[in-house]
Amino acid sequence: MGKAVSIENLTFRYKDQKNGNAIENINLDIDEGQFVVIMGPSGAGKSTLANCLNGLIPHFIRGEYSGQVLINGMNTKEYPVSKMAKEIGLVFQDFESQLFSTNTKLEIAFGPENFKFERAEIEKRIKEVLKTVQLEGFEDRQPPTLSGGQKQRLAIGSVLASKPKIICMDEPTTDLDPIGKMGIFTIAKELHQEGSLTLIIIEHETEEALYADRLIIMEEGHILRDGDPEEILTDVELMDRIGIMPLQIPKYFSKVSSLESHELPLTPEKGLEKFNSLKLEIDDKEYINIINEDLEREKNYGDVLIEVKGLEHTYPNGKTALKGVNLTIREGEFLAILGHNGSGKTTLVKHFNGLLLPTKGQVIVGGKDTKESSIFEIGKLVGYAFQNPDHQIFADTVYEEVAFSPKIRGYSETEIEERVREALKAVDMEGFEKEDPFSLTKGQRQRIAVASILSARPKVIILDEPTTGLDFKEQRQMMELIRQLNEKGHTIVMITHTMWVVSEYAHKVAVVNDGKVVLYGSTRDVFKKEEELLKTYLKTPHIVSFSNKLGKTLLSVDEMIRCTKGV
Amino acid sequence: MDMFLYIDKDTFLHRLDPRTKLAVMFGSFVIALLFESLPILLALAVIILLYGHSGKVLSNLKRIRVILFMIGLMSIVIWSITRGGETKLLGPITLEGIIYGITVGIKFNVMIISGMIFLSSTTIEGISLGLVKLKVPYRGAFAFSTAIRLVPMIVATSYTITQAQRSRGLDLDSGSFIQRIKKYVPLIIPTFVSVIRSTNVFSMALESKGFGYDKERTYYMELSFRSVDYVILIITLLLILVSIYAKITFKL
Repeated sequence: MGKAVSIENLTFRYKDQKNGNAIENINLDIDEGQFVVIMGPSGAGKSTLANCLNGLIPHFIRGEYSGQVLINGMNTKEYPVSKMAKEIGLVFQDFESQLFSTNTKLEIAFGPENFKFERAEIEKRIKEVLKTVQLEGFEDRQPPTLSGGQKQRLAIGSVLASKPKIICMDEPTTDLDPIGKMGIFTIAKELHQEGSLTLIIIEHETEEALYADRLIIMEEGHILRDGDPEEILTDVELMDRIGIMPLQIPKYFSKVSSLESHELPLTPEKGLEKFNSLKLEIDDKEYINIINEDLEREKNYGDVLIEVKGLEHTYPNGKTALKGVNLTIREGEFLAILGHNGSGKTTLVKHFNGLLLPTKGQVIVGGKDTKESSIFEIGKLVGYAFQNPDHQIFADTVYEEVAFSPKIRGYSETEIEERVREALKAVDMEGFEKEDPFSLTKGQRQRIAVASILSARPKVIILDEPTTGLDFKEQRQMMELIRQLNEKGHTIVMITHTMWVVSEYAHKVAVVNDGKVVLYGSTRDVFKKEEELLKTYLKTPHIVSFSNKLGKTLLSVDEMIRCTKGV
Repeated sequence: MDMFLYIDKDTFLHRLDPRTKLAVMFGSFVIALLFESLPILLALAVIILLYGHSGKVLSNLKRIRVILFMIGLMSIVIWSITRGGETKLLGPITLEGIIYGITVGIKFNVMIISGMIFLSSTTIEGISLGLVKLKVPYRGAFAFSTAIRLVPMIVATSYTITQAQRSRGLDLDSGSFIQRIKKYVPLIIPTFVSVIRSTNVFSMALESKGFGYDKERTYYMELSFRSVDYVILIITLLLILVSIYAKITFKL
């Protein structure tokens, strides 16, 4: 078999990069037909590498470039991107911006049209592609009306249609719900099994990397490890050190047994076999303790802050997004709102600060009906951090950004200073006051966005997808920050797709599906109902599935270790 | 928030060739610009509205109703004061001024509505393919259709950003004129940043899908110039010719 990708001494430095190189001395060969997953923390150079593969670097993105990239023998430096596109298809993380046609069929036809395929051939390919990406019956839909998972599948389909021999996807599942993620990986697996397609996926979901033939770990512009996924993923220490989420099952077994790393089980099913063969047991007494701690926490909640009664919302275009929701949020709670893309969860939380008003039913915040109040008033009590920090950052300095909210509310200069200091301290960004917020990393910008909400000292903080686009280490930092805010007395309402985040941090869970709350209760009770969750396109983390198989519901590796007897 | 102006329906209007619809739009522009007579412009407005109604796309006018209303109002206010005339009503306001204001308001609104009907009943691909068939180079046609696509995208982004800033306490409804303008800074900067970022991804995605692979390309979409297109085209041409003739001979 020939080489699909051959990279020699590749080094690249962006034009405006301050120090070091984005990638340095990369040497990499990928055989035809291989399925490769590339992982690594933010700033490791994964996307830079992907953009080198089809020549976007150096043709489109400028900088210092040395070394060479051969794709099916073609040097990317010598051909324009549009020519390389016939050999290698690139799917981007931001699926909203890469779909631009009026309907699904035309979106898929765009690539083949450019490559001058006959109309009949294009017609045939549209049919094939729609089948592969499971979008049959959606031919005439406008892409913006599709759900997140469908959009990303369409983005993949639009690249597949030109039948490139290599496909590279740059974090294709970041914004997707768990089942949407699985859908993408199922497609990837099928494509791979079908034939000679070479597949390169950049990903940070460890659980999905198991499907690959080969796993490459990158760090600081270098290739750190390259080999068999099972072998690398069981190296719990390495994962922990460089900040990739370790698989929970091998992590657990590495703590409770003296198994060699190659003997560690990877999946919940394999874990169960191992658990029994090692004669481990669940400590019932400890489990009862954990349950009692939950109950204790629930007893300490304060007054009701937000009350939602029979809430319905119909948008001006006639679409009913909420169909009768009832919820009560008390002071000190940490509530996670789950649901697949398009289930209505964002519509729901936008009612909590008055951005949207009920078309039927009632939302009472701090004792006042939101219909009789204003966003400005409710804003003192409820802060709302939007999903994308770039949708709210505008100031020249971090200080000005965070001071915006107290300033607009007319506080004195000293009061503003005090609040900014307090907010930046809470998000661990002291000393950044004079920095330009746009020059910070995504994780830091996310923190500034939270700080700029905190400076209004709201009792309730709503966070829409606070961990999206962050790597594992940054996700951990963000969640630890939110946990501390919660412990200081802030009530947290969080929308998220990241299931391990919910399982380890949230006290309560509300699952929204098709405009209704279908599951609502403590995280432990909800995560016990794995099958019902699956029906709403949600999947519990490995450790929870594993404990459920043992008849108990444990939410983190630490809890699982605490409840293990017979070590 | 709907991203596109295009309303996907299967009507007589939607089935017309984009070139025909383009001709109707330009025809309406020409006629509207030629005349300053209220009855003629009213007649033109009725024809255009009926034309739009045949494609069931007039619901899109709701989205621009504020703009249409403001143009009408501003025109009436300005011209009724400044136009002058015989029949004085109150101060500088004259009857002729009011009528002229209404006429000019209708003139501009008819053009906007006509443009809106075109965009609501023609797909972006249809527009660019129509232009290509009219010998506009593909890159140019694509750039034009992309510009149309960009407008609703910017609107959707600024809508999200407005919500984010209002959640932080931004109050756009109070303060003096200058104060209010200053308040738009937190909206404009993030909108620019977001639009620039997504257009950047958009152009990378285009290249990655082979845009510009060759000077030639094939088109999956097919345009068919049917007899009904000829009929509409001839009617439009006749109306334009009659209008020009009328303008010259009767000095309307």
